[in-house]
Amino acid sequence: MYKLLLSWRYLRTRFIALASIISVTLGVATLIVVNSVMSGFVCEMKSRLHGILSDVEVAAPLLGQIHNPEYHTRIIRDVLGDDIESMTCVVRNPALLTFEVNGRQWTQQVMLLGIDDESFGAVTDFHPYLQNTHKRDQFSFDLENQGYPDWAAANGESWNGESGWDYRRRKVQKIKNAEARRLEQEKLYDLAAAEYLERQAAHSRAWEAHHANGGANAQHEASITSEQPIAASQATFIGPDEPNRSSVEKNMSESGFQYVPLPEKAPDFAAIHAKQPEKANEEKPSALKLAPTHYSQNGGNLRELRKFSPVDTHAKFREEPNFEDFFDPEKDQYTGIILGLAIAKRKTIGEDGELKDFYMVRPGDDVQIMFPTVGGAAKPISENCTLVDFYSSSMHEYDSSFAFVPLKELQKIRGMVDPLTGDASVSTIQIKLKEGANLDEARDKLLAQFPPETYPYDIHTWQDTQRPLLSAVNMELTILNLLLFMIIAVAGFGILATFFMIVVEKTKDIGVLKALGAPSSGVMSIFLGYGMALGLVGTSAGVILGLVFVRYINQIAGVVQMITGQEVFDPTIYYFSEIPTIVSPMMVLMVGLGAISIAVMASVLPALRAARLHPVEALRYE
Amino acid sequence: MSRSTAVKPATLPLSKSDGGKAPLKLATQTLMSANNIHKSYRKGTLEVPVLKGVDLEIAEGSFTAIVGQSGSGKSTLLHLLATLDAPDQGEVHFQDRRIDNLPSRQREAIRNQEFGLIFQFYHLLPELSTLENVLVPKMVQDGFFSYLRNKRAYKKRATELIEMVGLGHRMTHRPSEMSGGEMQRTAIARALISEPSIILADEPTGNLDEQNGDEVLDTLNSLRNQENLTVVMVTHDASLAQSADKTIKLVDGRVV
Repeated sequence: MYKLLLSWRYLRTRFIALASIISVTLGVATLIVVNSVMSGFVCEMKSRLHGILSDVEVAAPLLGQIHNPEYHTRIIRDVLGDDIESMTCVVRNPALLTFEVNGRQWTQQVMLLGIDDESFGAVTDFHPYLQNTHKRDQFSFDLENQGYPDWAAANGESWNGESGWDYRRRKVQKIKNAEARRLEQEKLYDLAAAEYLERQAAHSRAWEAHHANGGANAQHEASITSEQPIAASQATFIGPDEPNRSSVEKNMSESGFQYVPLPEKAPDFAAIHAKQPEKANEEKPSALKLAPTHYSQNGGNLRELRKFSPVDTHAKFREEPNFEDFFDPEKDQYTGIILGLAIAKRKTIGEDGELKDFYMVRPGDDVQIMFPTVGGAAKPISENCTLVDFYSSSMHEYDSSFAFVPLKELQKIRGMVDPLTGDASVSTIQIKLKEGANLDEARDKLLAQFPPETYPYDIHTWQDTQRPLLSAVNMELTILNLLLFMIIAVAGFGILATFFMIVVEKTKDIGVLKALGAPSSGVMSIFLGYGMALGLVGTSAGVILGLVFVRYINQIAGVVQMITGQEVFDPTIYYFSEIPTIVSPMMVLMVGLGAISIAVMASVLPALRAARLHPVEALRYE
Repeated sequence: MSRSTAVKPATLPLSKSDGGKAPLKLATQTLMSANNIHKSYRKGTLEVPVLKGVDLEIAEGSFTAIVGQSGSGKSTLLHLLATLDAPDQGEVHFQDRRIDNLPSRQREAIRNQEFGLIFQFYHLLPELSTLENVLVPKMVQDGFFSYLRNKRAYKKRATELIEMVGLGHRMTHRPSEMSGGEMQRTAIARALISEPSIILADEPTGNLDEQNGDEVLDTLNSLRNQENLTVVMVTHDASLAQSADKTIKLVDGRVV
């Protein structure tokens, strides 16, 4: 009883002990906060890292292939048995993605994945990351009418934020209108040019008649007269194949004569000038070709034959010779492609000076992908695709590099389909294991089944892929815990020092207690109890402080940001809108027990010293 | 502990019948004795002998004064009698039992229940109130739960004792709020809480002025008469020793 009473009284009357309590409190609170934030962060990061990666992967080397995937999946099913949740086959190869941003070409490297509509979603968390709400429920590579988020883009176009078929039609319409205007201008140009040529021809005829008797000299002289440059300019503008171009004129244009326009012709030439870049433009391949006004016999037939949805057009009739004529971008789409959001998204500064998202392409736009065929002598293939959706897994590494197309299309285009048997090869088999299955064990089993000596496959888990990052984070967590426990250990040494002081101060009291018959163990337990009380109070305060801190961490971050002006947690860097936290009761318990035991351990030495005091010596002590 | 509670139930109030019987035993029984006690202290490599063969007998119910100059070894002798220290040579007997070589557990139990110790510097615990200070021996004696069970009876007895020493109005005061005389009277109450058979007092008035010292001595004397106590008091004040039944004079470590 006296032990409890005295421990309690010492706790209440020694303010020096408060210092030890505060250091224990701070240590415990810091440990809890750091652990909660770190485990929240790690958990969030792991789920993002895992996101569109499968648990285990059997992958052929780059540009290689796994022949007869059915055989392989059967073997894998035999090897792993009940551990398998689902499996899917994927074709994966690097590709170049090209699209047009306001007339400029933008090219970047992507990792192109041909995925199976149904099974891929079962193996990875792909669907929830899609931006189109319809596609999340019912996945397809079709361009949708609705369901796209309203991307508030600063494209400076009237259909801001729109995506899907409406956007595509409007865009095509705009291009058509521009083309029509161009044609009209060209027609005007043709008329003007024809008129000019006619006049010039008449002029030449008159000139020739006038100098009919002149020799070669006279002709040469005449070339310097004011009328001659007309012919030179004609050569420039009408082109070298013009039939009425003479050798003299050619000579003149090559000898560097300046063009002096005829006064009455000036407006026409300005129009011609204006045409010039657009003419060049026409030569460039454009994803959206103008639909021709009349169809060839073949294309017409195709149109008659078409009984498929607009989406199928590209796949079915790609090989047809007049496909481009027949393809109507207002109604048809190319093979669908899904890009990572970070591929298209760029930051821009809006009119009000705020940072805004700018989308270089949007669902409804056409893009081109270029990639090699399979096999040793790989050839590049270029293919049109229609962007049908974005995905955003919030992992920049994935969002800025992965592009998804239908598996069957990619197999066909890359020449992975055996022309005789019709069997298609793949490049990767992705496996999702059941909850709680050991990934490393599964990988090792597969390695034993497909030894690298025989099979040129790379077999790895998603953790292997992200091994450096994961182990770095783990090490960070370990080191951090170690360091923070050092803080509590420092608090422990504080308790040790304080207690030695208190024991010295209480020597006489210890003597009295012993004289009154208190055993050494009782005296010792006063101080052990005191240390434990300090640990308990400090730990409880620390646990409460830490939990409150974790609970309101985002608000606290906001306040700190307000005071310092420095952003504590930048969502654009971490891709989390809030600081993620996970409070594990086990962790709190371990930290609490650790802190209390450190406090008790620190009080053992002073307590032993107190217990060993000789009562006579202690009573004599002044 | 069980032995002592059988002999002297803690709840037993101070009874007059005990007081009646005691004078009969007084003349006949020796409560405590010491035979040929030697004790020396070590100062560095030098051994300083303090007691050089002390013999004494303390009769039950007597008031014995041990007097001597400073350094004559009288405090050391008291410590040896109280089993706070062990003699180098010789024996201490209490109630016909040798106690100086008992295991520490038993010595602690004897100190706690049979001896009432009073010191020159009172040695109260500064964190505790008067009442709590008086209760400390009981807290030491009992475990946590038995103390809680008996708490009411202990408190009653402690209150009685505190009122007896005249400190009823000082029940909840801390030692720092009391005068030296009051503190010493608190220490006397503490020494009596366990109903000891013997009071061992080490210069109880040494630190007090004459008036306070007399008050303390009066208190002690009246209690001795009331409770039939055996008292051994160490003092260097010869006038104090005169009130004792028996005076043992120590000179240079020997009884003269």
